[in-house]
Amino acid sequence: MTKNLLINLAWRNIWRNKRRSAVVLSSIIVGVAATISMDGLTNGMTYQMLFNQINLGTSHIQIHKTGYTDNRLVKNFIQGELQLKADILRLPGVKAVSERVVTFGLVSSAESSAGIYVYGVDHKAEKRVSAISGLIKEGNYLSGAEREVVVGYELANKLNAGLGNKIILMANDPSGKIHSDVFRISGLFESFSSGFDKSYIFVNSDDLQNMLGLGNSYHELAIIVAEPSLAESLKSEIRSAVGSDFEVKTYRDILPILVMQIDLSRESMWIVNMIIGIALVFGIINVMLMTVIERIREFGVLMAIGFSTGKLFSLILLEALIIGLSGTIIGLVITGLIHIPFSYTGIDFSWFSEGLVSLGVGAVIYPVVSYQTVLLTIIMTPMIAVAGAIYPAIKAIRLQPVAAIRHY
Amino acid sequence: MEIIRSENLDKIYKDNWVPVQALKNINLTVKKGDYMVIAGPSGSGKTTLLNLLGALDKPTSGKIFFEGADISKKTVKELSGLRLNKLGFIFQAYNLIPVLSAIENIEFSLMLLGKPEALRRKLSLNALRDLGIEELANKRPNEMSGGQQQRVAVARAIVNDPSVVLADEPTANLDTATGSNLLDLMDEMNRSKNITFLFSSHDPQVIERARILIRLRDGQIESVQTK
Ligand SMILES: Nc1ncnc2c1ncn2[C@@H]1O[C@H](COP(=O)(O)OP(=O)(O)O)[C@@H](O)[C@H]1O
Ligand SMILES: [Mg+2]
Repeated sequence: MTKNLLINLAWRNIWRNKRRSAVVLSSIIVGVAATISMDGLTNGMTYQMLFNQINLGTSHIQIHKTGYTDNRLVKNFIQGELQLKADILRLPGVKAVSERVVTFGLVSSAESSAGIYVYGVDHKAEKRVSAISGLIKEGNYLSGAEREVVVGYELANKLNAGLGNKIILMANDPSGKIHSDVFRISGLFESFSSGFDKSYIFVNSDDLQNMLGLGNSYHELAIIVAEPSLAESLKSEIRSAVGSDFEVKTYRDILPILVMQIDLSRESMWIVNMIIGIALVFGIINVMLMTVIERIREFGVLMAIGFSTGKLFSLILLEALIIGLSGTIIGLVITGLIHIPFSYTGIDFSWFSEGLVSLGVGAVIYPVVSYQTVLLTIIMTPMIAVAGAIYPAIKAIRLQPVAAIRHY
Repeated sequence: MEIIRSENLDKIYKDNWVPVQALKNINLTVKKGDYMVIAGPSGSGKTTLLNLLGALDKPTSGKIFFEGADISKKTVKELSGLRLNKLGFIFQAYNLIPVLSAIENIEFSLMLLGKPEALRRKLSLNALRDLGIEELANKRPNEMSGGQQQRVAVARAIVNDPSVVLADEPTANLDTATGSNLLDLMDEMNRSKNITFLFSSHDPQVIERARILIRLRDGQIESVQTK
């Protein structure tokens, strides 16, 4: 027998009842896999929701004229002469900026009409800020040609209009007067969100500015930064640069419900993880108790030849620790092997994706495992295994192993 | 030299709803080199007495002195140290740790004592040789016969040179010839190495070898014979 007596003994005891150890081991492996997979999916889903919203136009930072967000009036515009875009593009960390003319309006075809948000954008700048150009399924994105419009499939269906058809757009100018103009559908898009597809249309900013007599003014500056985490610090930088005439908001300010949902799902993960942990503890208590009661005579012999109660206690905890550690390692390896390919290919949930699409998530989820979860699993799982062995170990000592050898 | 002395030992088991007086007023002394047998019918209190003398259990009243020191004053840790350093135990059956080979079972208490590996090996091999079971060194208990297991148990009990070996009916599960062989070995240990043995048994083979024979009946000493 080699150096460490306790480790050796614990190790051999584990191999003694292979089936039972396998049961404990696999429940730990399943626990580890469940914890990490759940984390991966939840993160994947929520990040994707956020990512999609950012890509659909929310961007990382938005600038408006003060008062605009409370009252989205056309007259709350930013004057083009201010050259804000050029100033902001100079800030380190800013990747792209797009000026958007935004208004609420009515589109109609020969058959029907619908209320929508119209975005007038510079197609070159907007391509770098939002992903709409990549979502075109039929036709083309804005090219700068006169009176093009890009609409979602859902809206096109509702209007009973298709590629190349004309639609009429009606909207108020800053003074409240209604203007209308004819646009030709140049492209149809489909995003992850059916709500978005129904209610947003895109035209060239020149056309919208002309129609509403806005000159070169616009309503929204959408900014993409190099790293989402830079958004908060850039926000205050921009704010002090542009002054109090403008509102500067990050995606966290703009999408509070989504951000809250993400935080909430993080918290609910804790509850799920705790339940998994508790289930594991009880499973381990159960099995360890069985092995302890079975071996009570043997413990009596151990103690008769001078094994102390402390050593006996440690032996039982050590057995659980070894199983816990092995389970954690095997669980991590297995989960990693399954998980890593999926994090590239994504997992297709289209079989129940209706719900996901309306949530603003795609049907394919790319799991994202946070390193905190992995670290915590590595630390907590063996601890849980040991915690589950404490009661059986106390029991082993309480059962007075020496008394167990009296009869026979 | 006195090793164990008991004074007015009483043991009453109270864990059942009818208390059982297992021992009553036991006074005895075990001296260095003794070959003592506690005999008596089943239920007379032999195991209870041996467990008390081996510090595995506590008396209801009375005192036990081990090499002059009152063991009731010792802590749990000291008692476990006492068992490790000074006592050897042989039980009726299931003496060995199933996951350890014969030699590991013997080495075990030497490891607990922190003896260096080379010395452990040497002492354990010597003990195996003394009992004529060197070839069993690497066998696990479930690969050995009952008699072989008991020999390993004897080897383990004597390997750390204890003050006294307590053997509770060591031959009860063995056939006559095997039991007799085992007893011969212990006789030999007693004579050549002056190892002290305290047996409990109702096996005539054991009783006839006793040099001090204590007869127990209903928890009381009925007679003491010295041969
Ligand atoms: N743990 C116990 N609880 C209650 N009674 C016991 C216990 N152990 C032994 N006894 C009783 O004490 C008496 C003596 O038992 P024991 O010492 O085992 O006798 P022996 O070893 O001579 O057969 C018996 O009546 C037995 O039933
Ligand atoms: Mg008995």
